[in-house]
Amino acid sequence: MRLNWSTLATLYRTELRMVLRDRRLLLTSVVLPILVMPLMFLGSNWSLKKREAKLQSLACRYAVQGPEAEWVRDLMSRTRERLAAEPKGTNTAPFEFEEVACTNALAALEQGEIHVILEGGKTPAGAAGPAGEPAGPAAASRKPELRPRSNSAPAPLPRSLRLVFMGNHDESVTCAHRLQEALEATRRAERVALLLERGLPAPPDKIAAFSLVDVATPGQVAGVNLGRVLTLLLVLFMLTGGAVVALDSLAGEKERGTLETLLTTGATRLEIVVAKHLLIITVALGITLAQVANLLVYVGLKLVPVPGSLAAAVTPATGALLLVLLLPVAALASGILLLASGRARTYKEAQFYFFPLFLLGLVPAVAPLLPGLPLRSAVAIVPVANIAMGVREVLIGSFDWPMLALAWVTTAAAAAWTTRGVLGYLSAERLITSSERDEIEFLGGLPLFRRRVWAWFAVLWAVLLVVSSYLEKADLRLQLLVNLVGVFFLGSLLMLRTYRLDPRQALALRQPRPAVWLGVLFAVPGGMLAAIGAFHLLNFVIPVPPQVLEGFQQNVLPQDIPFVQLLFFLSVLPAFFEEIAFRGLLLHGLVGRFRPVTVAVLVGVVFGLFHLALFRFAPTACLGVMLAAVTLLTGSIYPAMLWHFLSNLGGVLAARFDIPLAHLDAGGYLAGAGILCAAFWILWRNRTPYPGLNAWRDTRPRASQACDE
Amino acid sequence: MPSACSLIPPVNPTVIVRDLTKVFYDDSRGELRAVDGINFDCRPGEIFGLLGANGAGKTTTLRVLATILKPTAGRATVMGHDLATAPEAVRRSLGFSSATTALYPRLTARETLDFFARINGCPAERVGARVEELIDRFGIGAYADVRVDRLSQGMKQKVAIARTVAHDPPVLIFDEPTVGLDVLNALDMQKLIAAFRDEGKTILFSTHIMSEAQKLCDRIAIIHQGRIHACDTLASLRAATGLYYLEDIFVHYVEQSRSQAGESPASTSCA
Repeated sequence: MRLNWSTLATLYRTELRMVLRDRRLLLTSVVLPILVMPLMFLGSNWSLKKREAKLQSLACRYAVQGPEAEWVRDLMSRTRERLAAEPKGTNTAPFEFEEVACTNALAALEQGEIHVILEGGKTPAGAAGPAGEPAGPAAASRKPELRPRSNSAPAPLPRSLRLVFMGNHDESVTCAHRLQEALEATRRAERVALLLERGLPAPPDKIAAFSLVDVATPGQVAGVNLGRVLTLLLVLFMLTGGAVVALDSLAGEKERGTLETLLTTGATRLEIVVAKHLLIITVALGITLAQVANLLVYVGLKLVPVPGSLAAAVTPATGALLLVLLLPVAALASGILLLASGRARTYKEAQFYFFPLFLLGLVPAVAPLLPGLPLRSAVAIVPVANIAMGVREVLIGSFDWPMLALAWVTTAAAAAWTTRGVLGYLSAERLITSSERDEIEFLGGLPLFRRRVWAWFAVLWAVLLVVSSYLEKADLRLQLLVNLVGVFFLGSLLMLRTYRLDPRQALALRQPRPAVWLGVLFAVPGGMLAAIGAFHLLNFVIPVPPQVLEGFQQNVLPQDIPFVQLLFFLSVLPAFFEEIAFRGLLLHGLVGRFRPVTVAVLVGVVFGLFHLALFRFAPTACLGVMLAAVTLLTGSIYPAMLWHFLSNLGGVLAARFDIPLAHLDAGGYLAGAGILCAAFWILWRNRTPYPGLNAWRDTRPRASQACDE
Repeated sequence: MPSACSLIPPVNPTVIVRDLTKVFYDDSRGELRAVDGINFDCRPGEIFGLLGANGAGKTTTLRVLATILKPTAGRATVMGHDLATAPEAVRRSLGFSSATTALYPRLTARETLDFFARINGCPAERVGARVEELIDRFGIGAYADVRVDRLSQGMKQKVAIARTVAHDPPVLIFDEPTVGLDVLNALDMQKLIAAFRDEGKTILFSTHIMSEAQKLCDRIAIIHQGRIHACDTLASLRAATGLYYLEDIFVHYVEQSRSQAGESPASTSCA
C-alpha cells in the first residue's frame, strides 16, 4: 500500500492545528506542568532545607531509666566529653543533648516532651545487644579496662543499652540515630585507646586495611544511572503526553461522528493512521521537550541538582544513537495509545483502557533497574525492555551492535504490529455500527482461531517466560513438566475447546505413507547436522560465550537425574507436547492464511522463540522449519513427532557420550545437508499434502482485493 | 437487467447496485440482514430517494456505497469503480454527508473546506479558488473564519454540505440531511440538493420524511427490513397503488411486505 505524501501532510497539518487549538490539552499537558514543576521544586527544596535546619539545631532530650541507669549516665558523660574534645570540623553535625528527669518516661516520649529513652539493663547470656558493654566492677569506672576472664568463674551478664524512640516522630528518630552513632563512636574510640595502651602496634583500622577503587569514569557512572531511567522516562512522557491526543484522535472522533466522514474521503486508512501516529509522536515529544527545557531552566537556577558528569555520558554521537534507538519505542507507545483509542467506542471507554495500558507500558521499561540482567538474553526480544537495556548499555559505553540491532528490529516490529492493529480497527465495522462482531467472530470455529492464533501464542510465550523465570533453579523434571504439560498441552487443549476444533484435523492425526518413515530416518541425522551448522553460522554474527554453552549443558543434563529419566523428559515429552502445540495447533492456525513456505518458516521462528535463549534460536528454529515442512508434506503430525523424538534423543546421547557433533568441519555439515536433501526428496515423492494448503505460488487474480484496502 | 423507470433518460448509470446484501452479527440480536439483496441504478441529474422507517436499511445501504461498510454479498459500482476492488476511487467520486454534521469543531469553515478539498484529491493550485467559490455559493462568507463549534446548527449544516461537495464529486450521498433542522433551514437544504441535481450530479438521498421525498425525489425506493418493495417515480407509484399520498403508498407497501413476510418475497428490482 502506497502513501500519498500530500494527503498525509494535509491530514497531519490539520490534526496538529486542531490539537494546538485544544485549550484543555495545552492547559493540562503543557501549561500546568510548566507552572507546577517550579512550584514543586521550590516547595520541596524549601521544605527539605527547613526540616534539615530544624533537625540540625535540635537539642536532644532524653530520659535514663533501668537498673543500669548510672552506667548509662556515665557513658553519656564520656560521650559528651569526647565530642567536646573533638577538633572543630570533625563532627559533621553539632549535637546537643540533655537529660530530662521523668517519672513516666514512656508517656513523656509519646507526648513529645523527650525524644529518646535510654534504658540500661543486663542482657541474658547469648543475647548481647549492639550496645552491650563488658561487665564487671571496673566497667563502672570512667576508664574501661580489659580483664582476663577466669576459666572457673561464671561469666557475668553483659550490660546493655536500649534506645527507645517513636518511629513516627522525625525529631525522635533523628535523636535516636544521632545518639546511637555518638555512643558507638565513643565505644570505638575507647576500644582503640585500650588496645593501643595494651600494646597493639597500630590502630585496628590501619591493620590489613582495605580500600575501594572505582576505575569507571564519572561519565560511565552517570551513564549507568541515566540509562536505568531514560527509557522509563520516555515511555512515561510518551504515554501521559500522547494520551490526551490519542484518546481524542480516534475515540473522540468516533463520538463526534467525524471519523465516519473522514473514512469516506479519498485518504486511505493507512494515511489516516500514519498521520495520527505522527501527530501523537509530535505532541508527546513536544511535551517531553517542553518539560525537559523547563527542567533545564531550574537546573540552571540551581533549584534542581544534577551530577556534573552527566554531560560526559551523553556525547553528540551517543545522543544520536539514543534517538535512533528510542524511535521505535515512541512509535510503539503511540501505537498502543491508538489501539486503545481505536478499540473504544467513546472517549470515556478509551480512558478505562488507558490506566492498565499505562502500567503495562511501564513494566518493560523498568528492565534496566533489574540487577544482573544483560541485553544478551531473552530480554533482547521483549519490546521496550530490550531498547531500555540497549540504552543503558550505550550510556555505559558498551556497544553490542548485533543485540542493539535485534532490539531495534523487535521493537520496531511490535510498533508496526500495533499500526496494523489500528488499521484493523479502522476497517472494523464496530467502529461505526452497533454490531459488536463480524461474521467470523459470530460464527467462531476455525476461521476465528486462525484470526487469533498469534494472540494465543503470544500469551503462551509470555506465560512461558514468567514460569521459566520462576522455575529457573527448580528441578529439570519439574521445569519440563510445567512447560510442556502446564503451558503447551493445557494451552493446546484450551484452543481446541474454545474454537470447537476437531482434534483429528487440528492436530493432523493422519497416517502417512509408509515410505515417509524411511525419509524421516534419513532426515534425523541430516537435520541435526544442518541445525548445528546453522548455529555455527549464527555464531559468526552473535558469538556465544563457551561458558554459556557449558552452563546450558550442565543444566539440561544434570548428573543427579537417572539417564533413562533424562531420555524420557528430554526426548519423549517434547516430541509429544511440543508437536501438538507447534506442528499441531500453530500450523493449523496458519495454514490457509499463508503459503506453505511462509507457514513452515513462521512455525519454525515461533518454535525458536519459545526456547527463550538467544543461542538456541538458530538450531531450534531450523529444526522447527523442518518439522513444519514434513507435517505440511505428509499432512500428518506423526512423522514430525518421530523426527523430534529421534533428534532430541540423538542430542542427549551425543552430549552424554561426548560425541563431537558440534566440532565437525564444514564438510561434515555439508554432508548432513546432503542427507537432509535426500530425505526431503523421499518425503516429496511420497507427499500427501496437508488439507487446505494454499498453492505454493500465488496464482490468484490481482482484482480480488479487500474492500478496506 | 432492464430499467424499471422508463421516464429516466437512457444514459449510463453512475451508481449500479446488484444483489447487495449486508449482514450484521450480534450476540444479542444474532444474524441480522440489514440489507437483503437490493438492486438499483442511479443516473446523472437524478435524485434517488431511499424512503423507509428507522432501521429499514437506508443508512446501511448508503454506508456500504460510501465504502465504510463491506458488503456481505453482491456488488456495486460508483462511476464505474467497484466498491470491493477500488474503494479509494469510489470515495474520490462521491461526497458523503451523514445524518449529523460531523464537522471538526476546532477548525474554521474555511479550513474545513480547504481540508476536505485537498484530502479528496483537488489539485493544490485550485484549492484556494474552489474554497472561495464554495463560500460564495453557500453564503457562508460572514462566518468563514469562525470556528465551527461557535456556529449555529443551520450554519453548520451549510458548512457540512459545502464540505461534501468540496472536491466537486459527480455522486452525492445524503443520509437524512434535514434531521434536526428547523423548517427554514430544511427548505434551504432541499433547495441546495435540487440545485445539485440541476447541475447533473447523481444524488442518493435517504429520508423517513414523506413530504421531503415527495418534493425532491425523481425516483423513490421504498425500503423495509432491508428489501426494496417498490421503486419508481411518484406518478408511477400512485398509478400502481391507486393511492395519492406518498404516506399511504408507503404504508401500503409496508403492509404488503408484512403480509408476505412468511412467503419470503423477493426484492423489487429498481435497475
